[in-house]
Amino acid sequence: MEQNQETHKKNWQDKHYKNLLLIPIVLLLFSLVYLGIFYSQHNDIFLKDISLTGGTSVTINGKLDITLLENELVKEFGEVNIRKVSDLITGEQLATIVETTASSEDTKAFLEEYLGYELNEENSSFEFSESSFTRDLYRQLILALLLAFLLMTIVVFILFRNFVPSLTVVFAVLMDIIMTIAVIDILGIKISTGGIIALLMLIGYSVDTDILLTNRILKRHEGTLNEKIKGAFKTGITMTLTSLFAVVASLLVVKSFSAILTQIFLIISIGLLFDIVNTWITNVSILKWYVNKKENHT
Amino acid sequence: MKKLGFKIWLFIIVFLLAMVSIFVSSNGIAFFQKGVLITGIEQNSSAFEQGLRQGQIITSLNGNIINNLTDFSNYIQEKFPSEEEVKLVITTKEASAVLYSNNAPDITVSSIPKTSLKTGLDLAGGARAIIGAEGVELTGQEATDLSDIIENRINYYGLKDIKISPFSDLSGNNYIRIEIAGATPKDLESMIESQGKFEAKIGNETVFIGGERDVASVCRNDATCARIESCQQDSSGSYYCKFIFTIYLSEDAARRHANITGDMEVNSTNPEYLSKPLDLYLDDSLVETLLINKDLKGQVTTQIAISGSGSGTTEEEAYDSAEANMHNLQTILITGSFPYQLKVLKLDVISPNLGSNFTKAILIAGLVALISVALVVFIKYRKIKQSLAVLCMGLSEIIITLGVAAFLNINLDLSAIAGILAAIGTVVNDQIVMLDEAKRRDTDSSIKARIKKAFEIIVGAYLTLVAAMIPLYIVGGGLLKGFASTTIIGLTLGILITRPAFGEVLKRMED
Repeated sequence: MEQNQETHKKNWQDKHYKNLLLIPIVLLLFSLVYLGIFYSQHNDIFLKDISLTGGTSVTINGKLDITLLENELVKEFGEVNIRKVSDLITGEQLATIVETTASSEDTKAFLEEYLGYELNEENSSFEFSESSFTRDLYRQLILALLLAFLLMTIVVFILFRNFVPSLTVVFAVLMDIIMTIAVIDILGIKISTGGIIALLMLIGYSVDTDILLTNRILKRHEGTLNEKIKGAFKTGITMTLTSLFAVVASLLVVKSFSAILTQIFLIISIGLLFDIVNTWITNVSILKWYVNKKENHT
Repeated sequence: MKKLGFKIWLFIIVFLLAMVSIFVSSNGIAFFQKGVLITGIEQNSSAFEQGLRQGQIITSLNGNIINNLTDFSNYIQEKFPSEEEVKLVITTKEASAVLYSNNAPDITVSSIPKTSLKTGLDLAGGARAIIGAEGVELTGQEATDLSDIIENRINYYGLKDIKISPFSDLSGNNYIRIEIAGATPKDLESMIESQGKFEAKIGNETVFIGGERDVASVCRNDATCARIESCQQDSSGSYYCKFIFTIYLSEDAARRHANITGDMEVNSTNPEYLSKPLDLYLDDSLVETLLINKDLKGQVTTQIAISGSGSGTTEEEAYDSAEANMHNLQTILITGSFPYQLKVLKLDVISPNLGSNFTKAILIAGLVALISVALVVFIKYRKIKQSLAVLCMGLSEIIITLGVAAFLNINLDLSAIAGILAAIGTVVNDQIVMLDEAKRRDTDSSIKARIKKAFEIIVGAYLTLVAAMIPLYIVGGGLLKGFASTTIIGLTLGILITRPAFGEVLKRMED
């Protein structure tokens, strides 16, 4: 009975692995269409925060009523961002972060008048970026992302010296990134420099499992194809799950504290979830197809 | 018990070296040090001449043992400011200085850091500015020259602990980065943004400009030739204070002065002076008009008194403002103007006060992440030894990476810490690959061969990740260099040292 189920399962996998590819294809198409619409509306594939558009971020140490301040700020500057920083354990408000697209002098002057005291380095932090400079920075980060992807591609091709499997690995990573960006946009996240770093880290994290899989399938000689895939899956899913656990745990810790780290961890978590799909469906199916076809030829 | 293999010894040695690099400095084991660290000291002050230097540790004041920052500030606040001169003996391990003054010594101190790790701006506080030229694309050479000029001006200004360096980005734009650790000078921005173009004109003719070509020397820090002269209250209630200091012109400039004044008439309403005054312009706006004594007509005179003023709502404020303006003008006259109008492209001034909370949150996050990893490993493999090995290797990899960061003087900012976390993620992934390879029973290959196979995968993953990090080195003015450095260091050490050691450990567990 058990034996039967096992063979039945195997048959099902062997019969339908090509159909399984529909899942990532649908996800990819949806992501691409969404990104296309998004691009036509915003002229870019991301919403950017002030670290990439230019503006001023002020951290005012101590307790402060956020909603009152927000109302006043909106009247003065239009679009603003405001949030609390709280202590990890007690939950007590430690500081308030205000982001405006205005210059640092204007923001400072307004806040000092509102608060009724002078802002200095004892009680506040100021971060100002000029918009032409940040536009340039953004362009370069995107360039870095593309370069990183290109270098990764070259290394993968050198590693396997085998066109289809190498291309499959690169393709799986690319799909991870595209789907992750689509989710970032759907969630309305304004990406910061940290967010772009996260996408870079994601390249590294997602390529790990793909290399494991491809190596096991192409370079091992013992066992059947399905056994090799199963072995790789056991190892790979443990890798992804430990990373995911670690990242989500860190995310919960830094959430009240650092917007940058929160964004980095959030983006990596999203990416890791897609990595499961893209390694164990996309990459496995294409590779299986490729190996089977090759075996039929010989 | 089998002897420990070479790989494990290498790991142990590197681990110990990392601990040394983190916890031991030239002053001994920082953890047990008592005293306060000198972080800034005026170059030509008496304390400096008597051998006190930045980086020394003050252990006592007038023979009273100083254990920490509180001791230090309590003692200084008790003694200064005072009506009469106070004798103060400052003792460090290397030197001892005897000072007599009414005011607290001009030395900045901090508590002795517990480790040699340097936290970056976003954790320790301080300021960072990225500067470009207004309306000009700087070439690499121009940026290097400009950064020297800025450094020169900042040194004369007396700011300490500042790093200035030119850099270029991927598209070939050149900028200058200024970094200041700890406290930030209030007037940093105005000092950078004022080009400091000084011109002394009679009518339309320029007599001399700021900089060493025309100005041979400037009297500073000497009350006989540079001082605040008088303070007054005007009818509206504001205070004005006047400063005056002497400068010495070069031969050329003095001759120019003689030529121009030689043709001038005596002032008809005020016969003591010449008909036209000497106008002082700073960045194209008139700051002061000086009447020229009739005796100077046609004279080659090198000595000129420059005056100006400062104002404020109280006399003290006006005095301070006059002093600041004098200081500013003196600096500009010595160093000359910047060749361009500078533009602040990015300026971050970070309060040091939230940093400790932040560091705590990051430590907790790291610990929580490691523990959750160990838990997943334990649930998967059900083996306490293996899970502990993964946890220990993860921890030691953090310590080794931090040790190298301390050794290389890398500032640990948020992005660098994210890099360490990224490296840890990879450590764990690699160890899982190795664990799984090691326990494969379906093959008749030896454990050695299986670990070798695991390394094929690990090295492949390593190479792709490093390749992906390289572009970050040159992007964004090195703002993200910390991230790339710590990731690459962590991964490389991992592949060379901790992974082979872990392989040995696995072999021993199998045997």
